[in-house]
Amino acid sequence: MIVVKNITKTFGARKAVDNVSFTVNEGENIVFLGTSGCGKTTLLKMINRLLEPDSGEIWINNHRIVDQRPEDLRKKIGYVFQNTGLFPHYTIEENIGTVPRLLGWDKAKMAARVSDLMEKLHLPPDQYRSAYPHELSGGQQQRVGIARALAANPPVLLMDEPFGALDPITRASVRKDFKQLDELRSKTIVLVTHDVQEAFELADRIVLLDKGRIVQQGTPDELLFEPAGEYARNFFEEQRFQLEAGRIGATDYPALIRAFDHFRKRQH
Amino acid sequence: MDSSESLWQFMHQQSGKLLQQTVQHIGLTFISLLITVLIGLPLGIYITHNKTTRRLVLGVAGVLQTIPSIALLGFMIPLLGIGPLPAITALFLYSLLPVIRNTYAGISGVDPGVKEAAVAMGMTPAQRLFRVDLVLAFPVIMAGIRTATVINVGVGTLAAYIAAGGLGEFIFGGIALNNTNMILAGAIPAALLAIVLDFLLSLLQRTGAARRKVVLTLLPLIIVCLSSFYVLPMRFGSRLLAGFTPEFMGRRDGDIGLQSVYGLHIRTVVISDAVMYEAIYKGKLDVISGYSTDGRLKAYDLVVLDDDKKIFPPYYAAPVIRRDVMQRYPELAPVLNKLAGQINDSMMTALNYRVEYLNQSPEQCARDFLVSRGLYQAARNGRKGTIRLGSKIFPEQYILTDIYAFLIRGYTDLQVDSKTGLGGTKICFEALINNQIDCYPEYTGTALLAILHPPAAESQRLAGNRDSVYNYVRRRFETIYDLEWLDPIGFNNAYALMMRRGQAQQLGIHTISDLAGYLKTNKR
Repeated sequence: MIVVKNITKTFGARKAVDNVSFTVNEGENIVFLGTSGCGKTTLLKMINRLLEPDSGEIWINNHRIVDQRPEDLRKKIGYVFQNTGLFPHYTIEENIGTVPRLLGWDKAKMAARVSDLMEKLHLPPDQYRSAYPHELSGGQQQRVGIARALAANPPVLLMDEPFGALDPITRASVRKDFKQLDELRSKTIVLVTHDVQEAFELADRIVLLDKGRIVQQGTPDELLFEPAGEYARNFFEEQRFQLEAGRIGATDYPALIRAFDHFRKRQH
Repeated sequence: MDSSESLWQFMHQQSGKLLQQTVQHIGLTFISLLITVLIGLPLGIYITHNKTTRRLVLGVAGVLQTIPSIALLGFMIPLLGIGPLPAITALFLYSLLPVIRNTYAGISGVDPGVKEAAVAMGMTPAQRLFRVDLVLAFPVIMAGIRTATVINVGVGTLAAYIAAGGLGEFIFGGIALNNTNMILAGAIPAALLAIVLDFLLSLLQRTGAARRKVVLTLLPLIIVCLSSFYVLPMRFGSRLLAGFTPEFMGRRDGDIGLQSVYGLHIRTVVISDAVMYEAIYKGKLDVISGYSTDGRLKAYDLVVLDDDKKIFPPYYAAPVIRRDVMQRYPELAPVLNKLAGQINDSMMTALNYRVEYLNQSPEQCARDFLVSRGLYQAARNGRKGTIRLGSKIFPEQYILTDIYAFLIRGYTDLQVDSKTGLGGTKICFEALINNQIDCYPEYTGTALLAILHPPAAESQRLAGNRDSVYNYVRRRFETIYDLEWLDPIGFNNAYALMMRRGQAQQLGIHTISDLAGYLKTNKR
C-alpha cells in the first residue's frame, strides 16, 4: 500500500506538484491522467526517490521511503520508462537480469526467470537472449523494458507513459500482452499517461491532475458519469461516446440510448 | 649520393642504438601515459559532478597545454633537474587535457535516459559509474587516450634535450651534425610509432560493448608492461656519468673519436648544451662535452681535460659570407675583417661569462667591447642596402653577430637585419646557401667535420694544425658553395671534455687519457 501525504515539489518558481495526497491499495492499478506538464511524472518519480519532494511524506507498506537507502528502495520497485531506458551495452538477457544481478541471484535462477519473462512477453528467448537493444523493434524494446521492471518480482510497479512512444498498432498489441500477464494480479501499479483510452482500459482508479493538483480521483465510471467539475467534464468530452459505450457494455440498451442521445446533442 | 640507400645503411649500422632509443621512446610514452590516465581519468570523473572544480581543472589543463613543449621542459629543469623525472612530468602535464576533457565529455554525453534507468534499477553510484557510465563513455575516453599517446610520442622526442633518451637523440644529433640520414633515422621511427599506436588504439576504441570488459582489464596491463620498457634496461656501465650534446655524440671529433682513439667507454646520456653546465655543477653529471670558451666554465669552476691525443681539431671562428654579397658591397669585407685577431680565448670566455652568467645583453657586451678596442663608431644610418646576419642558437654567436652589426652600421652605409637563433650548424648553413642570410660566424673544425665530411685520411693529415684546417675549409667552401671565409677572429672555441675541478683533482684526472684509464680500472 502506498500512502502519499501532502506532497509538494517546485522547480524554480513553478509548482510541479502542489499539496497532493492519495492512497494506492495493495494490488490496485492506479493511473495518473493529465495533460503534459500537469505534474504526473514528477509525482511518479517521487515514489522511488528519483526526485525528492520539498515537503510531505510517502509511505510504502507502512515504511517511510526516506528511512530506506534509495538503492534498496528502488530494487523493490519496478520502473518502466517511456523511452525504454534500456542499457545499450547490455544484451537483452543482461538488461532483463539487471536487478536480479544487483540482488545477487544465482545464475540458474536468473536465466530461468529471464526465459520465463521473455516467453510471457512473446520474445522468443533463443532468438533474442543474446541480442542488443538496437537490434530490436520499438515494440520489442518496450517489452524488454517491462520484463526488466518485473524481473525481481517487485511488489510495486511504476510506469511512466510505457506505451506512449509506440505507434497505435504496436501500442495496442504490447498493451494487450501486458494486460494478460498473470504476474500483475498481485501487484500495486502506478501508471502515468495522457491517453484517456489507455487510462480507462488499465485503471482500477484514475487520479486526474491539472497544474500539479488533483482535480478528481475515482473509478473510471465515477469520473465519466459524475465529473467533479468543469475541467473533468471537458477532459473526457472528445471521447465521451466511445468511453461510455465501452463502460456500459452492449446489452444495457437504455443506458446506451442515453449515451447516444447525449452524443447526438453534442453534435448539433 | 643515393640517399635512400645510405639511410638504410645508417639505420643498419646504428640498429643497436636505434632499437634502444625506440624501446626507450615507447617506455617514456607509456610511463607518462600511465600517470596521465591514473590521474586524468579520476579527475575527469570527479568534475562531471562538480561544476566549480570543472572550470578550474579544465582551465588549468588547458593552460598547461598552451605552454610550448620545449618551454615546459625548460620549466622542469630548475624544479626536477635533468633525466627521466622532468621528462615524464612534462609529458604527463602535456597529455593531461585530452584525457580529462574526453572523460568528462564521454560521461556527460551518456544518454540521460539510460543514466536515469540505472538509478531507477537501484544501482549505487559506484555501480552506475563502472557498469554504465564508463562503459558507454569508453569510445570517447579512448579517443582522449589516443590523442594523449600521439602527443607523448611527438613531445617525447624533446626528452633528448634533458638526458631522458628516446628517438630525439638521433633527430637533434642529425640537425646539429647536418646529417639528414641521422635525422630521418629518428624521425621516421617516431612518426611510425605515432601512426601505429594511433591505429592500434583506434581498434580498441571501436570494440563493441561485449568485449569492452576484456579491453578494460587488458589495457592497463599492456600500458604497465610498455612503461617498464623505460625502467628495465637500466644501463650498466662506468661509475662516472657523461652528458654529451646530440651533436657531440655523432661527431668523429666527439664520442666516436673518444671511443676509437682513447678507448674511453663511459656511461652516457644525451643532453642539450643549454642545461648541461648546470647539471654537471649540481653533480648530476660528471663529465660533459663543453666548449673551451664557454663562460660557464668559469662560472661553475670546471676544468678542461687536456686532449693529449689531439682528437679535437681547432675551431677558429671566422665570418662566412656569400660571394655575390661580397662583390656587390666591396666595402663589407674590410669592415668585417676589422675584428680579425681581436679576440683571444680568455676575452671570448669573459664575454660569454657576462652574457651567460651575468645575464647582460649580447648587444651591450658587443658595444662595450668595441668601445674598449676603439673600434666603435655611431651608426651612419645609410640606405645602400641590407645585410642579413645569421647566428646559431648560443650566446657566443649572438655576441659576434652584434659586434658585426655595429661594425657594418658604423663603417658602411648598409643596414643590418639580424636573424639570430638559427638552431644548429645545419640550419644556419642551409640558410646561408639558400640565400636566406648573407653571413654568419662559423668555426673551422665544425665546417670541416659537420659540413665537408672529408675522408678520414684527409682529416688525419690536417689534424690539429690551425692554418691547414683554415686553408682547407676556405678552399673547399669557395669551390663547392661559392662562399668566402674572411680572416679568423682569433679565439679557438674547441670541443673539450670538462669535469668539476674538485672531482678531477680528487681522482687525479688531468687528461682524457687519465679519464679513460680511471674508467678501465674502476669498473662498476
